[in-house]
Amino acid sequence: MHSYLLPPARVSRRAVLLGCLAAPLTFVGCGRTQTAEQHVADLSIESDGDFLAFRPDELTCPSGALVTLTFHHRGKYLSARHNWVLVHPGQLEAVDKAVEHNEGIIPGDDRRVIAWTPMCDKGGMAMTRFTAPAGGDYPFFCSTPGHGECMQGVLHVTA
Amino acid sequence: MNGRRHRLVVLASAGLFLALATQASAQQLKAPDDIKMTLRLLVQVSNDFKRQITNKNFARVPREFMEYTEAADAVRSVMKNESADLKAKVETRLKAAVAAYQKVSDMSASAKETDVDKLMAEHAKAVTAMNAVFDLFPAALRPDPNLPPPGRGGRRAGGAGA
Repeated sequence: MHSYLLPPARVSRRAVLLGCLAAPLTFVGCGRTQTAEQHVADLSIESDGDFLAFRPDELTCPSGALVTLTFHHRGKYLSARHNWVLVHPGQLEAVDKAVEHNEGIIPGDDRRVIAWTPMCDKGGMAMTRFTAPAGGDYPFFCSTPGHGECMQGVLHVTA
Repeated sequence: MNGRRHRLVVLASAGLFLALATQASAQQLKAPDDIKMTLRLLVQVSNDFKRQITNKNFARVPREFMEYTEAADAVRSVMKNESADLKAKVETRLKAAVAAYQKVSDMSASAKETDVDKLMAEHAKAVTAMNAVFDLFPAALRPDPNLPPPGRGGRRAGGAGA
């Protein structure tokens, strides 16, 4: 962790007033506060080189955890794009089919989708943050048309 | 009895010789692992062709052809330190395979040909051309066209074939 020292400065009356107004808002937060008990999970996943597979193809995190997932497209030769899309159980095929004619781009309002990363070109990385859903097994896949049938895996969410 | 035993010994020796010869020729290659991987890429893209045709995503087929040319370039790049003789043979057959896949792509492009059976027949010819490339390599490096892709879905699907 880095800490920085700021040079001393005269504090104006207006700044004090703004500070007094801002302080309670800090405690109220924006609705999705991270409680002291909330787990934090950092997950990493990558494509199996240029092959249509995730490595690993199984991930685990606790329910309710604030998950930060990093996806790395490890391809070297093919220009195929990949991403990582987490969906509710039983929804993989339907979501895959729905985005088939849209280059696999996931619309922001699809309630079947829990989380997703943007599409990555070879060598690229993308990240997504989400709160892990209730305990269970959740499928994930790459939504590039034609990839979902092979390039998939499971996120095990422990209760 | 002696004759039968003699024949068995000869067969076993021949088998051993073939196995050793295959291993030896694989070892003579400078980058056998990279070659094996790029040959598998050809199969993967060939399977993608097949999947797009059977799913009637004809407009995606030219995109698969582009990836096939990239996979072919990958084979060329990992072959750069191999013998000139092998490189020349591979290049000739690789060009024929790429041309065969281009034909499938051209038929599919702009929905000129939407007959799945016709496209699959043309794809089968392309697979034959691709297998001719594989024949130039030792058996240990040749991808099994019946193996499913390495992913979880591939395993679940139980194999797509080339």
